[in-house]
Amino acid sequence: MTGYIARRLLHGLFLVAGVVVVNFVLLRLAPGDTATAIAGEMGGATADVLAAIRADYGLDRPLPTQLAIYLGHIARGDLGMSHYFNLPVSSLIAARLGPTVLLVASAQIVALVVGVALGVLAARARGGAVPTLVTAFTTACHAMPVFWTGIMLVVLFASILPVLPVEGMSDLRLRDAGWITRTLDVARHLVLPVVTLVLVHLAQYARITGAAMREVLAADFIRVVRAKGAPERTVLFRHALRNAALPVLTVAGLQFGHLLSGALLVETVFNWPGLGRLAFESLLRRDYPTVLGVLLCAAAMVVVVNLLTDLAYRLADPRLRTVP
Amino acid sequence: MTGRADPWLRRFLSACRTGPSAVVGMAALLVVCAMALYSVFLDGRDPFDIVSLPHRAPTFVGPLPLGTDYLGRDLAVCLLAGAAPTLSVAAVAAGLAMVLGVALGALAGFFGGRLDDLLMRFTEFFQVLPALLFAMVLVTLWSPSPTTIALTIGFVAWPPTARLARAEFLRIRDLEYVVAARAAGAGAGHLMWRVILPNAAPPLIVSATLVVTTAILFEAALSFLGLGDPDTMSWGQIIGANREYVLDAWWPVAFPGLAIFLTVLAVSLLGDGLNRILDPKSDGA
Amino acid sequence: MYRFGRILARLAFALVLAAAPALADGRPGGSLVILSTQVPRHVNGALQSGVAVAIPSTQIFASLLRYDAEWNPEPYLAESWQVSDDGLSVTLKLVAGATFHDGRPVTSEDVAFSILAIRDNHPFKSMFAPVEAVETPDPGTAVIRLGRPHPALLLALSPALAPILPKHVYGDGQDLRTHPANVAAVGAGPFRLAEFQPGEHIILKRYENFFLPGRPYLDEIVIRYLPDVSTLLLAMERGEGDLRPFATGSQEIRRLRQVDRLAVTNAGYAALGPINWLAFNTRSPKLADRRVRQAIAYAIDRDYIVGTLHHGVSVAQRGPIVEGSPFFDPTVPAYDLDLDKARGLLAEVGLGDGLQLTVDYVPGLVEQQKNLAEYLKSQLKKIGIDVTVRTSPDTATWASRIAGHDFEMTMDTVFNWGDPVIGVHRTYLSSNIRPGVVWSNTQSYADARVDALLEAAAVELDPARRKQLYAEFQQIVATDLPVYWLNLLPFHTAYDRRLGNPPLSIWGVLSPMDELYWIKDK
Repeated sequence: MTGYIARRLLHGLFLVAGVVVVNFVLLRLAPGDTATAIAGEMGGATADVLAAIRADYGLDRPLPTQLAIYLGHIARGDLGMSHYFNLPVSSLIAARLGPTVLLVASAQIVALVVGVALGVLAARARGGAVPTLVTAFTTACHAMPVFWTGIMLVVLFASILPVLPVEGMSDLRLRDAGWITRTLDVARHLVLPVVTLVLVHLAQYARITGAAMREVLAADFIRVVRAKGAPERTVLFRHALRNAALPVLTVAGLQFGHLLSGALLVETVFNWPGLGRLAFESLLRRDYPTVLGVLLCAAAMVVVVNLLTDLAYRLADPRLRTVP
Repeated sequence: MTGRADPWLRRFLSACRTGPSAVVGMAALLVVCAMALYSVFLDGRDPFDIVSLPHRAPTFVGPLPLGTDYLGRDLAVCLLAGAAPTLSVAAVAAGLAMVLGVALGALAGFFGGRLDDLLMRFTEFFQVLPALLFAMVLVTLWSPSPTTIALTIGFVAWPPTARLARAEFLRIRDLEYVVAARAAGAGAGHLMWRVILPNAAPPLIVSATLVVTTAILFEAALSFLGLGDPDTMSWGQIIGANREYVLDAWWPVAFPGLAIFLTVLAVSLLGDGLNRILDPKSDGA
Repeated sequence: MYRFGRILARLAFALVLAAAPALADGRPGGSLVILSTQVPRHVNGALQSGVAVAIPSTQIFASLLRYDAEWNPEPYLAESWQVSDDGLSVTLKLVAGATFHDGRPVTSEDVAFSILAIRDNHPFKSMFAPVEAVETPDPGTAVIRLGRPHPALLLALSPALAPILPKHVYGDGQDLRTHPANVAAVGAGPFRLAEFQPGEHIILKRYENFFLPGRPYLDEIVIRYLPDVSTLLLAMERGEGDLRPFATGSQEIRRLRQVDRLAVTNAGYAALGPINWLAFNTRSPKLADRRVRQAIAYAIDRDYIVGTLHHGVSVAQRGPIVEGSPFFDPTVPAYDLDLDKARGLLAEVGLGDGLQLTVDYVPGLVEQQKNLAEYLKSQLKKIGIDVTVRTSPDTATWASRIAGHDFEMTMDTVFNWGDPVIGVHRTYLSSNIRPGVVWSNTQSYADARVDALLEAAAVELDPARRKQLYAEFQQIVATDLPVYWLNLLPFHTAYDRRLGNPPLSIWGVLSPMDELYWIKDK
């Protein structure tokens, strides 16, 4: 098992290193000059100011040199300085990582729970209106552009039903309040972004759970359990769902990357102070080190989640656990 | 191949009976295509023209059925005009993703070994990158135009297809009829494209619909973020441009969103239906 | 302006002090939440004076002078100032007892360091270019030595343009442009920086030992950054913000006006002078003849732009100097809409139908830039000019096109920044035709008389003479039209009606808000 983890970790590192190199090259080839972007913010700059900015940021050095500089820094855990804020990219990312993890993790958990519940519901009904309704609902949700769903929720909750906050992660006026108030405040802010993300990702879980459950429920051992007189709830949750968990787990791992992409849009719509918005706004500012940093961080997150999924898979599947 | 058409037709008819989703999806898609054709070939109006006051509410009948946008442009014309770029970008992107994915997956699955390892590492590498962010970077890299956006989306959307194609080729290459063909002296190219690919086609065709929906949603997302081509009237573009005013006027955001939703839904339903028709295992029918 | 300062400085200071404790209807304390879309990179106004930086910078750093709503200088860190008769030196007496947020006193050494640092680092070179040295005869006196008379100096000492930095923090030998204290700022202003969360918010806390007694009234100022206007508007409507500066869109202004709690005004932007204009590349053979430019001017309906396209929120601007400035000449030709005259001028040049031109615009400011570019397209069609609107995907792309003189016409927004020397000269001086630099003389306009007038006005100490020089300058450029001025950006401030002393001086929110207070609940 340890050897396996080490191999997977090494593999992950290799992937992340590749991400660094390719994105660095792509970003440096991009049009739109950082120096002009910075100067533009200043409201007009002279040629020597522009030249000074270029020299400051090493923008006048050849590309391979810049890459070498960058890789050297990464190896030391230094993601470089944001061109825009002149602050370490790692500090910008650190400030935004929490909100993104909170958003994505909450959405993942809620989507899993609700999706699996819907899948079980559909599988148990075996024919009739329920499976059709579940499929129709989840398919429809899946077909909606995530940013559009978000905007429509904003419209709904901004004017028609003003009970939930529609932007930001917390109310700054409550920052001196007790931790319970502040936690509840964040939870209230979390509702709409999470709902938006969950709606889009329900379909996969419901569909996979449904299919897996149907297969398991048709299996011989379930018939044996039923024949022993076990209550339906025990059959469904103790026996069937546990056996249907593996494919759901696989999908959950695969979905993570999509969830991150969705989170980027949701953060933009709901003004959530996360990594996605940081990346988007930095891209508009041509703040390459920051965009690079977020890309690297997101890729690392995907690698870690894949690794965890792999491990969970091994632990959940007795056949794989015995394999060295 | 022709010998198989008959059972396919029968399956198609039975699928239409058991689940009409394919027919509904196909019909809806045809409507969208008709919209696109109409706007391109018959309707000469420029969607960018300012025809009235801004933010006229939709009346659903009369000259401005869907109202006007923030500049006073006819939203109905904008929606019609938006169909063509949205569909063509999605089609090109999906085409590119399929070609890339099938080619790489086929090579990996057929030859296996080192090449398989290399190509799968490469694929994995692309899968680790958050696709939307990667696409945003690429679009910024090139100046945005329908072509670059289509190429970008195609470039980030191929990995799932590659994995599927690899799995299919891996499975089929050891089946008896392939072994037989190989024994008969067929070359690798012939085996891959003439023997294996036709048999791997059904799941790939189904997955193509998935790639198309991904492409439509990606194009919409990029345009929404303002990274699309500002001179092309696409549905995502309309949403992005009107978003600032959505609390004053919901319709310029709601209608293009509905159009995207219905198109994606149509393609999904088509995919679902095709799945039932092409893969008899997938359903009890 | 000059003489006013010299004579009345002490009197004004006494008046300010006398007015200070009069807070009959107010209560000290409380918090102010400012909502802004403009994200600052840092808070050091010595490096740049953009709107984003200046709002926090003017709260954190004090300056030598500040200005009221009538362009009059008021004492701030300098309790008096004296300009020598030859105009070559300015002696400033510093107020006693002023300290930086770390407790160290503000001395003339800090003043000298700051002015030279701004001269060497700030992009507005013309502000302090004539400064040769700053002498410090004693800790309470600073003497600015000038190479030539420089009447713009007093405006350049404003909070938004010349923050006084503590030398012991910023003068430690590190490069000022990347100094760590740019985001962990230490100043002598009414508020100290408590939290800088890049792109999210800035929290400023009352500085207890601020040198003006009893000030500031507020306990804290929170500046929240909301990247898009619709979100910001929503937050204002929901009462999550107390002050929204720089509202520009007609929709936003209209909706802010509908909120009972808020007062909405366009006061407070006079010094900024944000002119929205159409610039011509005079090197383009099609636009080289000024009659073509005049024809285009005659074809544009300023009233329609202001009244209909901007829904009445913006005001017309007829010349290169903002109409609110004392230097504006109201007799400049206005080019009222006259399509026949426009066609006639084109015919004179021998350009009938079929002239093809392109127009660029700054992306982002849709209503002010993009919509006007679209309007030009349909309007100039009426005089036979076929206009193609060129879109830039982002501001950087637009800026590099214009800086590279790769354009025929472009919409642009350029600020006056108080004195014409700072914000106006750069557009018209032939010496400022500098490829690669945006917001320079990218029109390639060169006129010897204009150069001479501007150079004379830059060193003219007598306000009346200076005004005359600028009047002649305005007449010439309004005839030559290297740019055609359309309107002032309709910057508006929305603020809670319960706020006393809202920021409405010529610098508005780009000025210390130590006098701002919450009116007592009745």
